[in-house]
Amino acid sequence: MEQEPKICTNILKIIHARSESGQLVRVEEILAELKEQGFLESEDVEQKAHLETTLKQVLKENRDLKAISGKNGIPYYYSAQSLSETYAGILVRKSENPLWLIAEVVRENSQLYPRPVPVDSFLEPPFGLTREEIAECLTTMREQREYQDIARTITSVGTPFLYSTQHLDPDHAFTLAEWLDVGQVNNP
Amino acid sequence: MAKYGGWAGKVLRVDLSTGRMSTDDTVEQYKDYLGGTGIGYKVIWDEVQAGTKPFDPENKIVFGVGPLAGTGAPCNGRTAITTLWPTCWPRPLVASGHMGGHFAAELKYAGYDAIIIEGKADHPVWLSVMDGRTEIKDARQLWGQGIRRSTIEINQQMGPEATVAAIGQAGENLVPMSVVMNSYSHSAGGVGGVMGSKNLKAIGVRGTGSVRIAGNKEEWEKAIKLHLSLLGANNQNVVPNSPQPWAEHYNAGSRWMASAGRRWGASDPNIDTGACEPHNLNRIAYRTNNAAFFLGDKAWQYTVRGNGCTACPIRCHTMLKVPAVAAKYGIPEVGQNTCVGLLFGKAFFKTFPDGPRGQTAIEACMVGMHLADDLGIWENYGQLQRDFQALYYNGIFGRKVAEKEFKSYSWDKYEEGDPTFLFELLPKIANKQGELATALGLGTGYLLERWGIPEQEWLENHELLYWKFGHPKHHSNEDAGQCGVIINTQYNRDAQCHSHSNFTRNGLPLEVQKRLAVELWGAPDAVDGVADFTPMNVYKAKMAKWSLLRKELHDCLSLCNWMGPWVASPLRERDYRGEDSIESLLYSLATGDRKSRQELDQVAERIFLLHRALTIRDMGTKEMRTKHDTIPHWVFADPKDRAAFSKGTIRMDRDDIKLAMDMYYEEMAWDKQTGSPTRETYRRLGLETVADELAKRGLLT
Repeated sequence: MEQEPKICTNILKIIHARSESGQLVRVEEILAELKEQGFLESEDVEQKAHLETTLKQVLKENRDLKAISGKNGIPYYYSAQSLSETYAGILVRKSENPLWLIAEVVRENSQLYPRPVPVDSFLEPPFGLTREEIAECLTTMREQREYQDIARTITSVGTPFLYSTQHLDPDHAFTLAEWLDVGQVNNP
Repeated sequence: MAKYGGWAGKVLRVDLSTGRMSTDDTVEQYKDYLGGTGIGYKVIWDEVQAGTKPFDPENKIVFGVGPLAGTGAPCNGRTAITTLWPTCWPRPLVASGHMGGHFAAELKYAGYDAIIIEGKADHPVWLSVMDGRTEIKDARQLWGQGIRRSTIEINQQMGPEATVAAIGQAGENLVPMSVVMNSYSHSAGGVGGVMGSKNLKAIGVRGTGSVRIAGNKEEWEKAIKLHLSLLGANNQNVVPNSPQPWAEHYNAGSRWMASAGRRWGASDPNIDTGACEPHNLNRIAYRTNNAAFFLGDKAWQYTVRGNGCTACPIRCHTMLKVPAVAAKYGIPEVGQNTCVGLLFGKAFFKTFPDGPRGQTAIEACMVGMHLADDLGIWENYGQLQRDFQALYYNGIFGRKVAEKEFKSYSWDKYEEGDPTFLFELLPKIANKQGELATALGLGTGYLLERWGIPEQEWLENHELLYWKFGHPKHHSNEDAGQCGVIINTQYNRDAQCHSHSNFTRNGLPLEVQKRLAVELWGAPDAVDGVADFTPMNVYKAKMAKWSLLRKELHDCLSLCNWMGPWVASPLRERDYRGEDSIESLLYSLATGDRKSRQELDQVAERIFLLHRALTIRDMGTKEMRTKHDTIPHWVFADPKDRAAFSKGTIRMDRDDIKLAMDMYYEEMAWDKQTGSPTRETYRRLGLETVADELAKRGLLT
């Protein structure tokens, strides 16, 4: 237990380092790194439980550290000094389910700003989906009840955008997509 | 003068008819007008008679800069050029063009706050201003040369550090649609012909002086750091274009293009623009890539870097290197510009063989920049190109131009989107060759009149974006509903106001914008979501007034209204607030003339009022509401006939806009019936003598 302060310091370092490189970290990953550093002898249940207690303590003492959970309830940790909640949310959804990722990003954008999202933006980091994955997701969405609000609109130059009908009606979504894709360029 | 910093202290006056040169004391004569357009309007009011024509020797042209030019304040590179406007139709009225680059700072370092050009030389000349020594030099050998060659030749005489503002062949030939340009890509539209009419080819300025800061140096440094911390990307877009690790918000419509993996592909070694965390002030210059914003991802591979104006870290003139154009078109591989200047060549064409964001579109931009920025042709915020498309595709060229001339153009190339077509068209505009090119060079209003086309047709066509007086809208209802409409009624050319649009386009959630609006204009209802407009309210009128005064203030201080104002920021810890007092803070520290935000805004209001008075005087009417502050019909139409205020339309309602104008005039304390300022307003703002003069002419409400 005399190693406890050092473990706390190293947990902090691990989370900070991961966040600085744009990544989240799970308990198992922290555990594995601590083991590599020689702080833990094994990854048994007792050790894990102890680590979780220590982690809670570290989180409490360092207000920049945040936890975020995915659909399956597994917590991910990050430092708000390097990662925003928005970015962390994208990373969680990306790691769990691209369908969910696309739908939630589209819903958030449709509600918050509000604006539709260009389909091709999911090709770019941090989403990093392939064109095939996006196409597959959109096909699947059409068949699943929980994604029936995700709709598509196409601008006058053929660029597809997604929006949520929970927050935008089709006419408004089209105008906003046209504004983003064509209007702002023609009205610089 | 010694008690004030900021100003250089002298205004240079050059009479080209007599060769006489003199100076005025800036503070004594112009302090109440700050600089820039303030000095310009004052000179035109005092010294140029109503009824003077733009190309008359009696017209004057004022190159004015402000007390912040040449200091360390960010974005201080603007020179305002004020004169009677050749493309203002059906009669010329006062207006100003604005160029960035390095002219403003260099003029200050040379010892001047403005240059007033009078008269007309009897042969082509250029003006050399070097550390307080001014000479009128023979320009006969430069006459007929493009802007680049003229710039190089003058730099050879004055030294490489000199900044040269030159006209091309378009200005020499008195083409109204012409520019003056400094630093190779920084132009002010509309004024090239006025210089040409005076036989003035160029002004070269070189100064080794400095601008004295009157205030405490530590406070000055602190103010500059604050200002820098509030900067976003071009147009004060304060959120990045794609999700970034540090960012809570993002917007695919943002010009903050930087991201890990997006590289300046033509720099050697090429540079990753990276995440550009907003607290890292040394990365501000990596945020913007206007070529990628306007031309798509392909532009990244051709990007060398961003270029820009004195003391501006935004670097909105993206420098491109496109090797293919050297062999294909015989032009340099490298070009740079921003917005409509960048799009000059592309915008003529309706289609390209590989689409609007393909290689050919980029090549059209390169050809367009090469020709227009050398010949010195103005695009009038894209109206030249919109007119061109409409006139061709509606068959008007075919009807108005002689068959032989019409057939001399390679219209097949044009329709195919072949950039070589620009080599046929643009030199002809600059040299007034043929009816088609000559008419295009007149500007929209005079072109329509020459060809007997009713202005009504342009006023009804939304695609043309035409507003009034020969000029287009510039950030109107599409950006800010009624506020945008009000702003676009106020000037004698396109409004060039970004105070409102740089706020509504900043990329923040509507809820955050509304929260900021409460602090700035008194209520969240001042702003609406895009295409989700609500009926008029007094807070929108307050926003319109604030926007106009802040634009005028920037134009007088030499701050860039294309980048500001800075009332929103990328800083989450400030809840995305900017600083509404940044201008007054910088002004007070630089000059030592302590003024609060409200006091400085009042000076801006005085200057804007003088612009209004000049317009009334030169129009010869006080019926501004019906004769000047007009609104095109397309503002009240919708392609799907959706009602105003329904989601998805930018259509405005006629009665609501009447109310908007009422509320605006009330905010300005102008007469609602006529839209003219009252004597009391002139008096309150220190312009009672102006009111007296208007009263003598029967033009005071």
